[in-house]
Amino acid sequence: MAEFSWASRSPLEQALVTGVHGARGVEAGILLTEIRNFDLIQVMARRGKGAELAKAAKARFGMAAPDTPKAVQTKDATLIWSGPDQFLVLSKDGKYAMNTLAPAFSGLASLSDQSHARALISISGAKVRTMLAKLLSLDLHPAVFQVGAAAATSIDHTSVTLWRGADQTDGRAVFNLLVFATFAESLWHTTLDAGAEYGIDIRYSEELA
Amino acid sequence: MAGVQANRLANGGLIDRLVSLNFRFDGKSFSGFQGDTLASALVANGVKLVGRSFKYHRPRGILTAGSEEPNALVELRSGARCEPNTKATTAELYEGLEAASQNRWPSLRHDLMAVNQLFAPIFVAGFYYKTFMWPAKFWEAIYEPAIRRAAGLGRAAGIADPDHYDKAWAHCDVLIAGSGPAGLAAALAAGRSGARVILCEEDFALGGRLLSDGGTIDGMPAAEWISRTLTELVALPDVRIMTRTTLFGVYDGGTYGALERVNDHLPSPPEHQVRQRLWRIVAKRCVVAAGAIERPIVFAGNDTPGVMMASAMRTYVARYAATPARRIALFTNNEDGWRTVETALGAGLQVAAVVDARPDVSPAHRSLASKGGFPVLNGSVSAVDGGKDGVSKISVSLTGGARAEVEADGLAVSGGWNPAVGLTSYHRGRPKWQDNIAAFVPDGAPPGMVAVGAANGAFTLGACLSQGFAAGAQAARDAGRSGKAGSVPVAADEAFSLTPLWHVAGKGKAFVDQQHDVTASDIELAQREGFESVEHLKRYTTLGMATDQGKTSNVAGLAIMAAVTGKSIPETGTTIYRPPYVPVAIGAFAGHHRDENFHATRLTPSHHWAAEQGAIFVDTGLWKRAQWYPRAGEKDWLESVTREVKAVRSGVGFCDVSTLGKIDVHGPDAGAFLDRVYINTFSNLAVGKARYGLMLREDGMVYDDGTTSRLAEEQYFLTTTTAKAGPVMQHLEFCRQVLFPELDVQLTSVSDQWAQFSIAGPKTRDLLREIVDPAEDLSNEGFPFMGAREVALRGGIKARLFRISFSGEMAFEISVPARHGDALVRNLMQAGAPFGVTPYGTEALSVMRIEKGHVAGPELSGTTTAADLGLGKMMSTKKDFVGRVMAGREALVAADRQVVVGIKPTDKASRLRSGAHVIPKSEIPGPGNDQGYVTSVCFSPTLDQWIGLGLVERGRERIGEIVHAHDPLRGEDYDVELCNPVFYDPDGGRQRG
Repeated sequence: MAEFSWASRSPLEQALVTGVHGARGVEAGILLTEIRNFDLIQVMARRGKGAELAKAAKARFGMAAPDTPKAVQTKDATLIWSGPDQFLVLSKDGKYAMNTLAPAFSGLASLSDQSHARALISISGAKVRTMLAKLLSLDLHPAVFQVGAAAATSIDHTSVTLWRGADQTDGRAVFNLLVFATFAESLWHTTLDAGAEYGIDIRYSEELA
Repeated sequence: MAGVQANRLANGGLIDRLVSLNFRFDGKSFSGFQGDTLASALVANGVKLVGRSFKYHRPRGILTAGSEEPNALVELRSGARCEPNTKATTAELYEGLEAASQNRWPSLRHDLMAVNQLFAPIFVAGFYYKTFMWPAKFWEAIYEPAIRRAAGLGRAAGIADPDHYDKAWAHCDVLIAGSGPAGLAAALAAGRSGARVILCEEDFALGGRLLSDGGTIDGMPAAEWISRTLTELVALPDVRIMTRTTLFGVYDGGTYGALERVNDHLPSPPEHQVRQRLWRIVAKRCVVAAGAIERPIVFAGNDTPGVMMASAMRTYVARYAATPARRIALFTNNEDGWRTVETALGAGLQVAAVVDARPDVSPAHRSLASKGGFPVLNGSVSAVDGGKDGVSKISVSLTGGARAEVEADGLAVSGGWNPAVGLTSYHRGRPKWQDNIAAFVPDGAPPGMVAVGAANGAFTLGACLSQGFAAGAQAARDAGRSGKAGSVPVAADEAFSLTPLWHVAGKGKAFVDQQHDVTASDIELAQREGFESVEHLKRYTTLGMATDQGKTSNVAGLAIMAAVTGKSIPETGTTIYRPPYVPVAIGAFAGHHRDENFHATRLTPSHHWAAEQGAIFVDTGLWKRAQWYPRAGEKDWLESVTREVKAVRSGVGFCDVSTLGKIDVHGPDAGAFLDRVYINTFSNLAVGKARYGLMLREDGMVYDDGTTSRLAEEQYFLTTTTAKAGPVMQHLEFCRQVLFPELDVQLTSVSDQWAQFSIAGPKTRDLLREIVDPAEDLSNEGFPFMGAREVALRGGIKARLFRISFSGEMAFEISVPARHGDALVRNLMQAGAPFGVTPYGTEALSVMRIEKGHVAGPELSGTTTAADLGLGKMMSTKKDFVGRVMAGREALVAADRQVVVGIKPTDKASRLRSGAHVIPKSEIPGPGNDQGYVTSVCFSPTLDQWIGLGLVERGRERIGEIVHAHDPLRGEDYDVELCNPVFYDPDGGRQRG
C-alpha cells in the first residue's frame, strides 16, 4: 500500500503568477504578496466570560487582545479584533494552533480553526491607497487608518478582514487582507484589475510580515 | 481642408498653437489645436451646421460651450468605441478624432427626413398619443418602429465596449463642485484651514467663467490669479484637484457620485488604463460652486445655426480664439450680454447691432455703440432669416411697434442666467424664486451642503469670491479643522440689471427645448388641453426630458406656461430634480463587473483538478460546481451522467460537496440551541454520531435541511444546503443573539475551512481502506451508518469521516482542511483506480437523490411544510422550536395540501419534464382542477426511464393513481403514475450495509 502525499496547496496557487503584472515602470506601484501556510484561530468568549478570557489571553500572549477594531502584534502572533469578545490569532509553525490554545482557554472560549478558511494577502507600494480605494469603501488616509487599525469589511460583496501592519523600513504603509479561501482567486483577479495601471510586483512568501 | 482654420483669430486664446490636431467630422478633414473642444475646432473651421433636430430634422448649430448643450450632439469615435449623443461642446479634441452628425439621412446637408417639417402642424405635443391609438396592435409592430427610425438621436455601437471602467471611493472634509472663482476661493479657504479637500471640475481646465470672461482679482489678471491659486493649492498636503470630473449626484449620508473622464480625451485609453472612473465621494461638507447657465430667449427661428448663447460666443472668441461669426448681433435683456459685444470688438469682429429689451441702456454702453458704429435697438428679435448655412438676417420688433432688420451672420442671445440648482435640489429640494435676477436659486440644500457664487444667484465676481471663501472656511471649521484661512481674494462687483423676457411672439417655430423640438406653441397647446401642472407639461410635451435634461429650456418653458395660465413663475413651480446631472455611461456604473467579473465567484479546493479533467461547470449561486465529467466519445450530457450514476451504483464514485454550508456550533448550550432551531432533537445525539435535521422559518415553512454531527460534548458540526449557507448562518446568528441570548453558544462559519467529498457506491470501503490509516475500523460495527468521527489518513494528516448517504448507496463523506483538498482528490483517484473510481458531478448527484426520493431545492421551495415533504413525523412534540406554532396553522395542516410524491410516465419511453401540471385523468386542464406540478425530474439509469418528484394534492393517498401531466409551455400532454417517491432501494439496505 502506498503512502500518500498531502502537500498543501494555496487557493491562489493557480492564479498567482510571480513577476510584474500590468504597467511596467521603474518601480511597480503595488507590491502584492500572498502569505502561505499560516495558523489562524478564531477565539470567541463563552457567555459572560469576556473579562476572564481577556485576562487569560493577556497571560498567554503577553499582551491584551484588542477589544476595538485593532490588530496588535505580539512577539510571535498577531491578534486581530473580529467582533465583540472575539478575536483572531494569526501565527506560524504551530505556535498557536487548536491543540495548544484550546486547553489554555478551556471553559472561557470557543475556538474554531480558520487556518485553511482564509487566504492572506499583504499589499504595499507607492500606489497602495490609490488602488485600495477601488476595492474598499473605507477611508485609508494615514491619519484615519493608522498602524494597527483593523476592519471587518467587504470587497466586491466579499467579506474581508483588513488591518494595517507595521510600516516598511522605507516608511511605506502595509495593508493585510484576510479573505475567505473559496473567494480568494476571484478577489485576486479583481485586485489585479484594480492595480494593473500602476504595475504590480507579485510574490508569495511563507513568512508573516 | 485640413490646416486652414479660417475662423481662428491670429492671437490669443487658451490653446496651444504649437500642437496642431487633425480630426474628421462627417468624413471631412479639419484641424484644430490642443486645448480645443470639438465644438471650438468646428467653430474655428467655419462649420455652422452640426446636426439635425429630433423631430423635425431642422438644421442645428452649436448653441452653448458647455455640458448644457442641446444641439451639437455627435457620434464620437467609430466601431465598438462609437459613442452616440456626445456633446461636441465638452468633447476634447485629440489627434485623429472622428465624429459624425446624427439623425440625418443620407447626409447632414441633404436630410430627406427634413420633409417632416412640412407636416410640422400635426407633429404637436401629444401627437403620438393622439394619432397612433388604433388599431392597438399596430403600435408595437408598425408605429413604434417607424417612429423610432425617423425620430431619435445617435446610434449605439451595437458591439461590446472594448474599454474598461473603474469605480473608486474617496473621502474628504470638504468637497467642492466647480473651479470657477467661487470654487477656487472655497478650496483656498478650506485647504489653508487644514481640511482634506476634493475639488471637482467638469472641464479639463480650471477657472470656470474666468477662462472666458477674465477680470481682475487681488489686483492681478484672472489668469495670473488662477495660476497662483493652483500653485498654492497643489502645495497643500490634502487638497486633491480632479479635472474632467463631474459631480452628478447627491446620496444619503454625505455620499456623492462623480464621473471622472480619465481618458476620454484620447483616442483610446493607454494600456492598463480605464476610460472613465465612477467616484463615490464621502464628504463631511460640500460646497456647490457649480455656476450658472445662461438662458435663451424664445423667438421664431431661434434654432437657426449661428444663433448662440452670448456667453458661449465670448467663450469661443476669448478662450478658443475662434469666431462663430464675422458680423454679430446681440439680443439681450440684461447687462451681462454686453460683455459679448466688448469681447467681439476686442477681437476685431464687426457688431451689426445690439437689440436690448430693457428700456434703459447704460451711458457706457451707448458710448461703446457709438464708438463701434452700431445701433442699439430697444426691442426684441422676432424672426431670423437663414437656414442650414446659418443666420443671414434678423428681424426686430422695436418698442413702440416699428420693425427693423439687421444683416448679421451670427446672433448672440442672453436672457439672463439660471443658477445650476441641480445638486442642491436632489433630495427633493425645490428652489425658490428670486425676483431681482428673475431666476430660481437654492432654497436650502441636502445636509452638509451649501451653494455659493453664481450657483447661489450671486453673479458678480466679487460676490463669488467672498461667498466661496466664507463657505470654504466655514466648511473646514464644521469638519473640525481650525487652521487659518488667510485673506479673502478681492474683486469688484460688475453692474447688474435685467428685465425678464422669455418669449417673443412672432410667426414661425420658436423653440423652447431644442433637443426635443418642443416649441412655445406646444406649451400653449398643453395648457389648452389641461396639462397645466409642470409635471404633466413635462411628460406631455417631453420638455426637459432629453439628454440635456432641459438645462437651457426648463425655466423658459415654465415661464411660458406661467404666462398662458396667468400665474407667476414661482406659482407655476419646478419639476423634481433628479440625478445624474449629466448622462453617465452604464459602463461606468458597472466598472470591472462585466463578463467573467460580473460577480465574485467561489471555487472549491478541487476546482482546478476538475478543470484538468475537462469537467463542465455550472454556476450555483456564486459557486462553480462540476456538473459532469465528459469522456471522449460521449455524445451528450445524458450519456456522461448516466455513466457516472451507473459507476457509483455498481462500484464507487466521489463528488465534491465542499459547497455545503458548514458551521461550528459550540458551547455548553450548543445542543439546547440546536433543539430550538431544528424541528427534531439534537441534544440527545451521541458524540460521534450524525443526524439529519430540518429547520423551519418563523412562519412554519421549511427553511433548510442538512446533517449535523456531534464531534464532542460541546461541539457540533452543522451543514446546510449550498444555496442557503449564508442565509442559514444569518438566521442562526439572529436566533443566537436576539431570540436566545441566554444560551451559551458560539457559531463560526467553517464553510471554507474544509474540503469535503462524498464517496459513494458498494466499493466505498475498499477505496477508503486504501487511504485511511489501517488502524481505523471502517467495518459496519466499527463505523455504523450515521457515524461521524476524526480518522488518520495514510501519510500523516487527519480527516473527518461522516457515514451519511444522499445517493442511497453505502457512502461516506470525508473532509480535510481545505489546502489538502487538491491532494485529497488526487489521492482518491489514485487509491480508487483499482476499483474504477469515477468522479461525478452535480447532475449525477441529483439523479441519485431523485431515485432515492430525497428532497432538495425544488421541493424546499419556501412554500412547503415538513409534512408536505413527508417529514412531518420529525417534528418533535416534546419541545418548542422556531416555526412550531405557525406550522400548526389551519391551512398548513389541511388534508388536501400538495405533498411530495413520486411521478413516472405510464409510457416508459416518454420524457417527464419539471413544471408540468398534474390534472386528474381525462379532465380538461384548468385552474380549477390543477392539483400540483412536477418539481424534479431525471432520467433514471437504474429504472431505465424518466422519473420525477412532484407536489400533488393528497399525493400520498393516491399512490398508483394514473393522472394527466399537462405542459402548456412545451405543448406536451401525457399520462403519469403517482408512486412512492423512493424509487431506489426503498428499505435502505444498501446505505446501511
